[in-house]
Amino acid sequence: MIRVHPEPWTTMVAHAEATFPNECCGAMLGTADGDDKTVTFALPLENAYTGGQEDRYEIRPEDLLRVEREARQRGLDVIGIFHSHPDCDAYFSKTDLENSCPWYSFIVLSIQKGKFHHANSWLPNAEQTKAEQEPLEY
Amino acid sequence: MAKILIPTPLRQYAEKNNSVDVSGATVGEALASLTTQFPDLRKNLFNDEGKLRSFVNVYVNDEDIRYLQKDATAVADGDTISIVPSIAGGLC
Repeated sequence: MIRVHPEPWTTMVAHAEATFPNECCGAMLGTADGDDKTVTFALPLENAYTGGQEDRYEIRPEDLLRVEREARQRGLDVIGIFHSHPDCDAYFSKTDLENSCPWYSFIVLSIQKGKFHHANSWLPNAEQTKAEQEPLEY
Repeated sequence: MAKILIPTPLRQYAEKNNSVDVSGATVGEALASLTTQFPDLRKNLFNDEGKLRSFVNVYVNDEDIRYLQKDATAVADGDTISIVPSIAGGLC
């Protein structure tokens, strides 16, 4: 189960709608007690993909290094990554799976015609061959 | 000694430590020291051929070792080593 508090959720949705029709991305910080995760802070990041960003995103490792440092300073943990699917459902695509990192929760926000529509959270397996849906509360 | 910062999801394999002191004069030796202390980390960081998994990046202080001497990058006392994943995706 992953719970996203209202303030970070508002940040995530606003970032996803603002970057439409491109994909957005960002990091989620909070606390984890085993599989029970709570997101208390969201950090929008720049989509660093150099091609068309309407169907791709990429996070620079140096940005994630900065995120990890910010989490430590705030006394929080990096819980997961969020990104958007413009005019598309919130599934975990083959591209998402192959380019993910099986350490984190991945929340996908479906943005339809520029507005938030729905979201799902996914947990890639260690081999990055499939992703299991994780209960999401926001 | 150098210090390796452990990303949150991997701390469960490192007795919940958020950082681990390691010995070694290079990044390769420092990572070997880490996985000797915590063998369960090995499969999360390395593939079956013993190479870093494709999405795993290693930084010494602020420098990505891919642009230095990779595993042979020198590590000095007081250096901080960070393990940072590559993440990308897309809807297709």
